[in-house]
Amino acid sequence: MSAQTHAGGRSRRRFRLPFSGWHLVLLPASLVLIFPFIWLIVTSVETPAEALHFPPILTPHVLRFANYPDALNAAPFGRFFINSAVVAVVTVLCNLVFCSLAGYAFARLRFLGRSALFVVIMTTLMVPFQVTMIPQFIITKWLGVHVLAGIGINHIGALIVPNAATAFGVFFLRQFFRTLPVEYEESARVDGANRLTVLWRIVLPLSLPALATLAALTFLDSWNNFLWPLIAIDSTSQMTLPLGLATFQSAHSTDWTLLMAGNVMSLIPMLIIFFGAQRYFIRSVAATGLAGT
Amino acid sequence: MAAPTAPVRRRRLSSAAAARARVARSEHFTGWAFVTPGVVIILLFGAVPVIWSAVMSFQQSNLLSPSTPYVGLRNYRAMVHDPVVAQAVGHTLVYTALFVPGTMIAGLFLAVAMNRKIRFISFYRTAAYATMAISTISEALVFIWLFDPSYGVVNYLFSLVGVPQQQFLNSPSEALYVIVVMTIWGWTGFAVVIYLAALQGIPQPLIDAAATDGATRWQTFRRVTLPLLSPASLFLAVWLTINALQLFDEVYLSTQGGPLNSTSVLVYYLYEQAFQNFNFGYASAIAYFLFLIILVVTAIQFRVGRRFTYYRS
Amino acid sequence: MRTHRLSVVLGSSLIALGLVACGAGSGGSGGNGKSIQIWEGYTADEAKAFAHLVSEYEKQNPGQTVTSLYVDNDDSLTKVLTAVRGGSVPDIAYLYGSWAPNVAQIPQVVTLNSVVKQPSVNWNDFWVGERDVATVNGRVIGIPALVDNLAVVYNKTLFTQAGLQLPGPGWTWPQFVADAKKLTDTAKKQYGTAYVTPGNEDTVWHWEALLWEAGGKILSADNKKAAFDSAAGLRSLTTLASMAVTDHSMYLDPTDSAYANLFNSGKIGMLVTGPWDLSSFPSVDYGVQIMPSFPGSAGGHQTISGPDNWVIFNNGSARTAAAEKFLLWLTAPAQVTYFSLHTGDLPIRASVANATGFYQSMNKALPGVGTFINNLGNVRQARPQIPTYPKISTVLGNMVVSVLLGKSQPAAALASAAQQVNQILANPNP
Repeated sequence: MSAQTHAGGRSRRRFRLPFSGWHLVLLPASLVLIFPFIWLIVTSVETPAEALHFPPILTPHVLRFANYPDALNAAPFGRFFINSAVVAVVTVLCNLVFCSLAGYAFARLRFLGRSALFVVIMTTLMVPFQVTMIPQFIITKWLGVHVLAGIGINHIGALIVPNAATAFGVFFLRQFFRTLPVEYEESARVDGANRLTVLWRIVLPLSLPALATLAALTFLDSWNNFLWPLIAIDSTSQMTLPLGLATFQSAHSTDWTLLMAGNVMSLIPMLIIFFGAQRYFIRSVAATGLAGT
Repeated sequence: MAAPTAPVRRRRLSSAAAARARVARSEHFTGWAFVTPGVVIILLFGAVPVIWSAVMSFQQSNLLSPSTPYVGLRNYRAMVHDPVVAQAVGHTLVYTALFVPGTMIAGLFLAVAMNRKIRFISFYRTAAYATMAISTISEALVFIWLFDPSYGVVNYLFSLVGVPQQQFLNSPSEALYVIVVMTIWGWTGFAVVIYLAALQGIPQPLIDAAATDGATRWQTFRRVTLPLLSPASLFLAVWLTINALQLFDEVYLSTQGGPLNSTSVLVYYLYEQAFQNFNFGYASAIAYFLFLIILVVTAIQFRVGRRFTYYRS
Repeated sequence: MRTHRLSVVLGSSLIALGLVACGAGSGGSGGNGKSIQIWEGYTADEAKAFAHLVSEYEKQNPGQTVTSLYVDNDDSLTKVLTAVRGGSVPDIAYLYGSWAPNVAQIPQVVTLNSVVKQPSVNWNDFWVGERDVATVNGRVIGIPALVDNLAVVYNKTLFTQAGLQLPGPGWTWPQFVADAKKLTDTAKKQYGTAYVTPGNEDTVWHWEALLWEAGGKILSADNKKAAFDSAAGLRSLTTLASMAVTDHSMYLDPTDSAYANLFNSGKIGMLVTGPWDLSSFPSVDYGVQIMPSFPGSAGGHQTISGPDNWVIFNNGSARTAAAEKFLLWLTAPAQVTYFSLHTGDLPIRASVANATGFYQSMNKALPGVGTFINNLGNVRQARPQIPTYPKISTVLGNMVVSVLLGKSQPAAALASAAQQVNQILANPNP
């Protein structure tokens, strides 16, 4: 912000850095935030002798990149990766569709029982999974037997369907939709558009940052989910990445170097998604259509 | 409603009322049609297990034998007399009271800092998001090391500035705070993502208008930005609180409720009861007690939030 | 254009859903027993050795498949309990021995008394500690899967540097305490010994070994009253307290993971641990010695063992028979020898341990493991096999941790813990 925009045109002599002062804040903050990653990556290329150190050695003398192919060969990671990817992508798509519909309804539509239903949905977030996982297991098993085998126990469908819509997604989008100025929707409805068209053509395009955020968060949750896949999956061929990574860790001995290599490889898709999705987290002012108002 | 006037006007009014009624009816239908797919899934996999667990809380169940006799309120009465439950409630509330504001402030500060186009901004932002991607076990291991009383970095830094060495995870009075720090680190990325998305929604013209009116940057922030961020803040406060009250993973992976139950939070304690002591009915009762706490706290947050949240519509 | 993108998205979702539907079948009950499922937590060397044995078995028994699923041992009980409730149990699962009294209550668990009484099985060839843990109230519910015990692993280099004599088999706890003190160097951040303090059974069983050596018992013979609140209990706790609180020679590890890496980094002089840790010490010139004993105690030297079980679940008679056949083959001397030699795990059969050349081969592959093998004969008693043991363990864990942290005195801690344990024993289902 230059001095000229200030009313009165006061020009103060300011000490100007050759770069934005915010770097002085962001760089140390970022280093603090990514420090565990540095440790993760360094351990993943160490030999076991140096990895089994405490305090951890951050400047190893011997690098061992073979940890990566070793980790990949230790278990069918290709299969785990595909399973995790399919589960995550389908879960994200389902969530975007179902939670947009439901979130919009809760935000804008007045229907009988709206408040009560919203409260009931929120309450599903308030009981810990450790308690609900056994009923969920039984329900999933029943569905697999009586409705569709592909969504029952020991299929990756069982990892998708229970999470295909979450109270979190509905809550998140409802809050977001409420922040949008209602004028756009009203004018479209006056022009005769029905609610679905309003949602699809007006609201969703304005909500790209929120949708991108929900997509990224849902992907993350699905990718890292461990406890439900642990109890729902009974065959190695249906295992997801977190279960696969667990094979490096037994109760008494952990293969640190392979585990870290596996962790790093598991992180990469998520980092790519976040990095790529950044474009959608940022909305240009023009897209909001508010430049003129 | 309207005073009887010339027949033409009455017809127009009644058709307007009829149109409103038509819209209202179809709203109900549309509303339910929109929510049904999501709600069916959420209720089937969320509400049904929640009710099931409620039923289990009135039974004596050890998950081993199929016999689960109803014992009425016995589990709840045992809970009232269990000193560890009282401790766990205290720890859970203290943890939440520190974690939620801490994460929101850290997230807001970083989001504001990252809401600008400077070089490397993509790197900074990815650094923030990435903290969410790391597995909890890796996060726990790093913090266990950082806070190790003998070999950790934190005590080393303390020794450099003359602060006495602390016992951290070995100390019943400090362990919970270490977990607070660990989890704030883990969740800041989430807060940054939410706040960044919300900051994007604030039209620059509003900020510029405030500046033209002579407001300083801080005043603009306080009086324009913050209120416009209030829906995101409410969302974050509610979601972080719901998660904080159900803290489990970090405790399981680092202190296991210790030392001496000082980091025993409600979900960890009920997990112990269910899967180590085979007392599943009792664990369900504790879960319901926690559920009540979360429900009350969330309701209060929404109430208070309604007063302070500003929706631009 | 937008519709094109949309159809791509929809199309790929349909393909994905199609993939989803082609999942593997789940293990329902019934079946002809040609395929059995086993849940185990083997990693690295153990996983390779086990996979080799499984393929051997399948070669010898054409038409028979053994599918194994990796489940971390710590999580296997949670998964089994969920499966029990949901009606889809595996045929065989690896379960910790400490869970045995409770696992026995699962209705699907198969009783193996008649199976193990067969002369070909040679049940008494399994160590007494294993048989005790596989049997609950006279009912055999498991076949031994693993055996271990506690001994002392020490850093030879640190001992030499401190000018100390290396531990001999007749050494005593006062010597251990003195050595630990001499090995502690605050300037170098070096500790004489370490103790794990998460407060769970890991904390407890290390102390129980000392209690037994001091001549004490955990519970009375009828398992109805606490018996650790005794002179032996006091002696064992005081020994630990003197190192943790008085000498500060004991590194306290609440995370149960740092101590091994610390030892490997040369920062700890002695560890009381088991054979599973030996492969984590590639950087140290270590030695292994049996635990010291208390002078003048009737307990002498003894150690504690933590055997684990293979448990068979009833999925129909054909599958049960197939599971029994597999397990009996797996735990036969030839396979036990193979598994031990390729993993460093202690042999679950005495005949294997005593076979000529076995000790030497094992010690060559994993130096120091020989002491643990010989130490198996020093396991004289087991922890109480009662369903309330997990609750008792929590009380004892808190007792030990509070003494080690200096929060309470041994005598008071023992009395308070005994009171709580007696309450639990009197009222098992509050």
